[in-house]
Amino acid sequence: MVDATANDPQIVNEPQVADAGTLKAQLARATRRQKLMALGLTAPLVLFVLISFVYPIGAMLVRGFYDTQVQQILPNTAKVIGNWNGEGLPDEEVWEAFVQDMQVGAQEKTIGKFALRLNFVLPGTRSLVMSSARKVKRADLSEVENFQEYLTDIKEKWGEREVWAVIQRLSDSIQYDYYANAIDMRINADGDFVMQPEKQRIYVTLFIRTLWMSALVMGVCLVLAYPLAYWLSVLPMRISNLLMIMVLLPFWTSLLVRTTAWISLLQEQGIINDIIVGLGIVGDESRVRMIYNEMGTIIAMTHILLPFMILPLYSVMRTIPPSYMRAARSLGATQLTAFVRVFMPQTAAGVGAGSLLVFILCIGFYITPALVGGQRGQLISNLIAAHIQTTQNWSLAAALGAILLAGVLICYWLYNKLIGVDNMKLG
Amino acid sequence: MAGNGASGDYAVRFEAVQKSYDGEILVVKDLNLDIARGEFLTMLGPSGSGKTTCLMMLAGFEPATHGEIFLNDNPINNVPPHRRGIGMVFQNYALFPHMSVAENLAFPLQVRKMNKSDTEARVKRALEMVELGAFGGRRPAQLSGGQQQRVAVARALVFEPDLVLMDEPLGALDKQLREQMQYEIKHIHENLGVTVVYVTHDQSEALTMSNRIAVFNDGVIQQLSSPEDLYEHPDKSFVAQFIGENNKLHGTITKIDGKKSCEVALDDGQTVKALPVNIAGVGEKTMLSLRPERVVVNPKRGECPSVMDAKIEELIYLGDHIRTRMRVGDHDDFIVKVPNTYGHEPLKEGAKTKIGWHTEDARALDWYTGTIDPGMDD
Amino acid sequence: MAPPPYAGTGERVWYYGFRTFCCSILLFLILPIVIVMPLSFNVQPYFSFTSEMFGFDNCTGEFRPFSPSTIETSVRAGSSVSDEGVQHCLNERIRIWEKTQQEDGLAGTAWVGDGALSEAFSIRWYMNIFTKGMVNPELEQFTGAWWSDSWSNSQWLHSLRNSVFIAVFATLLSATLGTLAALGLSQANMPYRNLFMGLLISPMIVPIIITSVGLFFFYNTVNIPYFYPDGLNFKYLGIILAHALLGTPFVVITVTATLLGFDRSLIRAGLNLGARPQTVFFKIIMPLILPGIISGALFAFITSFDEVVAVIFMAGYEQRTIPRQMWAGIREQINPTILSVATILVLISICLLATVEMLRRRGERLRGLSPQ
Repeated sequence: MVDATANDPQIVNEPQVADAGTLKAQLARATRRQKLMALGLTAPLVLFVLISFVYPIGAMLVRGFYDTQVQQILPNTAKVIGNWNGEGLPDEEVWEAFVQDMQVGAQEKTIGKFALRLNFVLPGTRSLVMSSARKVKRADLSEVENFQEYLTDIKEKWGEREVWAVIQRLSDSIQYDYYANAIDMRINADGDFVMQPEKQRIYVTLFIRTLWMSALVMGVCLVLAYPLAYWLSVLPMRISNLLMIMVLLPFWTSLLVRTTAWISLLQEQGIINDIIVGLGIVGDESRVRMIYNEMGTIIAMTHILLPFMILPLYSVMRTIPPSYMRAARSLGATQLTAFVRVFMPQTAAGVGAGSLLVFILCIGFYITPALVGGQRGQLISNLIAAHIQTTQNWSLAAALGAILLAGVLICYWLYNKLIGVDNMKLG
Repeated sequence: MAGNGASGDYAVRFEAVQKSYDGEILVVKDLNLDIARGEFLTMLGPSGSGKTTCLMMLAGFEPATHGEIFLNDNPINNVPPHRRGIGMVFQNYALFPHMSVAENLAFPLQVRKMNKSDTEARVKRALEMVELGAFGGRRPAQLSGGQQQRVAVARALVFEPDLVLMDEPLGALDKQLREQMQYEIKHIHENLGVTVVYVTHDQSEALTMSNRIAVFNDGVIQQLSSPEDLYEHPDKSFVAQFIGENNKLHGTITKIDGKKSCEVALDDGQTVKALPVNIAGVGEKTMLSLRPERVVVNPKRGECPSVMDAKIEELIYLGDHIRTRMRVGDHDDFIVKVPNTYGHEPLKEGAKTKIGWHTEDARALDWYTGTIDPGMDD
Repeated sequence: MAPPPYAGTGERVWYYGFRTFCCSILLFLILPIVIVMPLSFNVQPYFSFTSEMFGFDNCTGEFRPFSPSTIETSVRAGSSVSDEGVQHCLNERIRIWEKTQQEDGLAGTAWVGDGALSEAFSIRWYMNIFTKGMVNPELEQFTGAWWSDSWSNSQWLHSLRNSVFIAVFATLLSATLGTLAALGLSQANMPYRNLFMGLLISPMIVPIIITSVGLFFFYNTVNIPYFYPDGLNFKYLGIILAHALLGTPFVVITVTATLLGFDRSLIRAGLNLGARPQTVFFKIIMPLILPGIISGALFAFITSFDEVVAVIFMAGYEQRTIPRQMWAGIREQINPTILSVATILVLISICLLATVEMLRRRGERLRGLSPQ
């Protein structure tokens, strides 16, 4: 048999506890190749996401406070107005630079943008700029001796310190007005943050409405999804797989198709109204308005997001062995007590995952509110789109987007903290 | 047969190998081990003792953080797993589920660019070796556990490696099938003459199959010897307790009489004689290890140098022997196996008796206080 | 399935009430999707059922271009009712025809045949998909010339081509990048795993409006000499890249989940048997995770195929997709053509869902086979 002692002079050594530092270094060396390989595989997508997602969004957010528009329209003024200490009126060089810039701006038709921007902060100054620009446009500036007098002769209002203070502030490339605007505030001529006039306060209301509606949709989804997911999880696998198709099919169906379907169901000449009129519940003349308002948005969004709530709940509930409930029953608990005390606490992770996901998707919703929301069912995303497409106030859109994004990222962070992104499941 | 022990004639050599997963705790601490050509060596130990890690380092799936491993005299730390040419049977067999049995077996030959007819012949031979000739077209999932196990063994051997590693290959089988497979693997080893490194936590498996057993604990080989030696002559308390059943008596060395005998004062005051094996010196604590079948009940006068009073607490009738639990000193878990021989004196629960032993049967070992998980849960 | 024998009245009510509630939620989920199908066969340009639709009758007939003369011949030929009835039917049909002519200015098609059914159902809205935008809608239907006019000029077919083209390339891109990334993310030694995972999933989380606006500005500033000197807006490449970005999280999630259930010892077994890492990847890993990759790719495909916001911002008329066309349809002139397109999309969704379910079960079966 085997000669056990001949070739093992030193089988057992005393365990050496290596110095932790060198051990770590050895480990790092031994696993570096695998690390590099893992990173290498992930790198293409990470780069793609960084370049075509993170950077564009970052650049858009910068647009919300970095604004060189006035600098570009009034290049000379911007250079010299920084020297003014803000007291009294600026020096002659500023006036001269301003009038020259104004002439160029009037000729190149860029002065209008400046007028708008100034008017944005100091209401009523648009006509001041535009009418002065018309006069300056064709003037021979070489004959002007005193530019301050020249300008105040055209419009007396140029002599107000406030106007120049605002121009000085707008010449800076960093502007906070848009962010202030996004929370219904403005920066007045003195540079202080003040609330907008009552009737111009729309954004905070809209943010609150977005949050409130998202919370409502989340709540309705939870109330509908929890019992259904429970029922599906206790049914035999064969039947529940079949019924799950009814949950998954909406998940796979185009958002526009589902929204269209809801229009056909909910509109005043739609199917539901036809039915209740047909049943004589309401008269033909008093059909219920269920769409193009908050109600339409909530119904359609609940329908669209319900699968996102059902799926995580179902997958958590499936993994809870029925023996827990049976144990509780055998220990004397009623069905209800067993459910509340034993079953429900174990589904907390699913509730968290589903609720946060629905909430996150809800506050960024755009298509459905735009189509079925009417005036009162619009969410913040719709307003951002409107500022891009209609009013062209891109900086304000960027500021609103930044606030929305911050909200979403907080929820996402919370999701990651509580549930972990790698536990996200689809279908 | 295997292991003639000449220096340099080994299949595998571990030289000062260390391994850490987290950079803080060493799971393998300075391992030195030579495995002879053709040997069946088992790494035995409780879970977390580092035995599987050693196997993974040998197969190339875990890099050693320190030290070098040699395969046939060549260092292999920088050889990727697929160029090592080592066969391996995995714990869950790792049969490719999307390939048929024959495709699984042909895989190692195909990647070695063997021609088609040779491949087929070899696959056929390998399947016949494990008596699954008719199952080549089946998917692994269509086989029973035992059949899958055989396919895994055949796949590890089909490309004729010199060395085969087995990582608890029988763990998923039931007891009867496990015993049958033990013999089959043993016979395959004997017929082919390959070197086998086998990892298990099941001591009976290790004792049945191995030429040598390396008992692992806490990242260190506690003892490396043949199955008989391991059972009959454990060097360490851990080994004595891990292999087979063992009675422990704690005490202090009072006197050493050469190499064959020493006196130990037990914790309850009696003084007994034992064989000094692994003791520090007079005045040091020690643990005596006594196998239950070596204890003499009611010894004749002068038969045993050490005799103690005992009280029979419980009798369990097991057919060939009667397992007797006794109170000896302050322990009430002293086990004695009384053979069911002709005319042996009947025992009664509650009766008082005496026990004794021959000095060489009580081995004085190191003082070991760690708990032992023999890993016999399945 | 019945309540236990010891259940009291209250429990019985609860038992059946609970099930009714659950079934009605399932109905709530599925009904809006099913309802578009019958509506899309409406004769009238409404989003609602007409009373005729409930009066089913046997029918025989054929499709003919819709005009007063064909109506008259068909009604007289196919109807067995009295002259008075025929006249009434005729007038009613001509009224409907005139009305729809005014509304969409198009020649429709009608089911010409037996009286009762022909009044209720029609596939004119499906024909509209082919005819809307045709240069010469008067051509005889289903002839070669008609098909070629339809193929090259129909707005819907044009958008369909765009949708498929964009979705296919976006899917290829996101499936490739997403699978590679998922393979990297599931390596045991991946550093900052959670951080990277969070980053790669975020395109799914960040509101689409923010992504679209950001990309719209970004594409304006991009300048790729020779190829895209004026940026990527109103270019196919821009939309493909945007859709690929939106699709990658789905691929990453599904493939990572598949790899989670993947028995790592199979890789080790492959290497141990002498296969090079590349061989192991293509012969062992790929076949086993392929169902996951395909599921992820289908998710990415449907994401692109459905996507409308990015298209609104960065596509020109040339790059219009089906959802963009529907969006315009819903906002501008709403008629059941949208419903017929919706019906077709639902059928596509059903096919995709069936494929994914099949793959999932196949994957489970394969994995269930390996002993645990």
